[in-house]
Amino acid sequence: MASLRDTALRKIQTIGPRFLPFADVATEAVPLSRLLRLSLFQVTVGMALVLLVGTLNRVMIVELAVPAALVGAMIALPLVFAPFRALIGYKSDIHRSALGWRRVPYIWKGTMLQFGGFAIMPFALLVLSGYQEAADAPLWIGRAAAALAFLLVGAGVHTVQTVGLALATDLVEVEDQPKVVGLMYVMLLLGMIGSALAFGWLLEPYTPGRLVQVVQGAAVITVALNLLALWKQEPRDRARAARVETHPEFRDAWRMFVEGRTAVGLLVVIALGTMGFGMADVVLEPYGGQVLEMSVAMTTRLTAVLAAGGLIGFAVASKVLLDGRAPLDVAWWGTLIGVPAFLLIIAAGPLAQTSLFVIGTALAGLGAGLFGHGTLTATMRSAPRAQVGLALGAWGAVQATAAGLAVALGGVIRDVIAGLPGAGEFRPEAPYTPVFALELALLVAAVAAILFIRRRQARLFQTTSYTEPRQGRPDRPAASKEPQPRDRRPTGGEPHDDGRLTAL
Amino acid sequence: MSDDPDKVWPTGLTLKEAEEVHSYLIDGTRVFGAIALLAHVLVAVSTPWLG
Repeated sequence: MASLRDTALRKIQTIGPRFLPFADVATEAVPLSRLLRLSLFQVTVGMALVLLVGTLNRVMIVELAVPAALVGAMIALPLVFAPFRALIGYKSDIHRSALGWRRVPYIWKGTMLQFGGFAIMPFALLVLSGYQEAADAPLWIGRAAAALAFLLVGAGVHTVQTVGLALATDLVEVEDQPKVVGLMYVMLLLGMIGSALAFGWLLEPYTPGRLVQVVQGAAVITVALNLLALWKQEPRDRARAARVETHPEFRDAWRMFVEGRTAVGLLVVIALGTMGFGMADVVLEPYGGQVLEMSVAMTTRLTAVLAAGGLIGFAVASKVLLDGRAPLDVAWWGTLIGVPAFLLIIAAGPLAQTSLFVIGTALAGLGAGLFGHGTLTATMRSAPRAQVGLALGAWGAVQATAAGLAVALGGVIRDVIAGLPGAGEFRPEAPYTPVFALELALLVAAVAAILFIRRRQARLFQTTSYTEPRQGRPDRPAASKEPQPRDRRPTGGEPHDDGRLTAL
Repeated sequence: MSDDPDKVWPTGLTLKEAEEVHSYLIDGTRVFGAIALLAHVLVAVSTPWLG
């Protein structure tokens, strides 16, 4: 009888975990299909970005007739959360869970925030625009609700992307990371392109009801894709759950992260390069239209050219990084390609050469692809395993802030110059050339910064002593000024592969 | 299996682990409820259905 009961229980036990959301074991090699499934979270991130910055931007201004300044303020709101990515990543690094999970709880919460924001967003926007009875309602209701919706979506996107990338980094070996980065970027791009087309098609005769359907549909798709992405990805870890660890405060963790290495320099490079490449996003199409007199269909194809350049960049970067190239080298090539790209774009206007402009745009996409891939891979490799979340959080904070600032700055510079007294006398390219010139300057600065980092790395590499390998941080100089007892190391018990140091 | 009193039948999770999984469900439901409430208020502002 007892043996029958035991057999029955054992049978049930083998069925049970199949229906629970964790990976059974931390397998050595994660198959590509599983990484592909994980990268679905990037699709929802891309969808949210397109919806906020592209689709709803237009719908609010054109169909809902909300003042442009208010729309701009609403769209800028999610940017407020960008610096908190570092904190979110750090929190996920030290998360305590009975399951030994670190990433899944945050991805799930971020998904809920994103879902909640999208669920109330259409109604908030309708109230904001004074739809029907809402015209008599106090103004603050619509404004507060819309602001809340944008903040929720923004916080959700920041959380999901930061912790999702950290999970992807956890899952793969160092030498496979370029593959993951390429995959993540491609999925983000595909998500953005696909959802931009889909939203445009779905909102084609616009009605308020249709707006509600589309935005809430996006909310449901977000939850569905994110659940599918994280299902059975992060292994249950009883050892980690059982360990009693004391973690450093955020400030100390940050100091450990930046100390004795080139982490800050890398962040500066990311800021410069992201701003340099990102500013063109909003001015390329009007430049083509107003200066080179391209048709709307042609300028739309420009976006495709830029995206195609980016895809080629990701592919090339993945290839050479898997062959063992240093990620910083790849980022350097990217910025080097960006310089002639913007020179061509600037020259295209006065010469009235559309072909130069198209070539320049493709090169800018290629450079941005190489740069993005190289810097993200460098970030993944720059941190010890226990600080992956913090490193990717810092990357995301800098990258998102720089991209947001770049887009805003590009638009503002153009509008200010176009609005100057006597602007009608200017050549048509006058409002655009300073924007492209500024991008050029930022890229040149990025090239210089990368050279500076590489010199510093070479120096650090020489002076660092390896005679006393430190647990978790072999890249730390042996003569540390603040000795910490070994058991207080946040990396306690986690193996650290020394390959990481030479990788950056 | 039967020698660990902390095990919960039949998933093989410990009590703490099961409670944590459950807490995600509960939190999700709470957030969902709050969002639904807010959405209803916003709809009521623009198209009141209660007179």
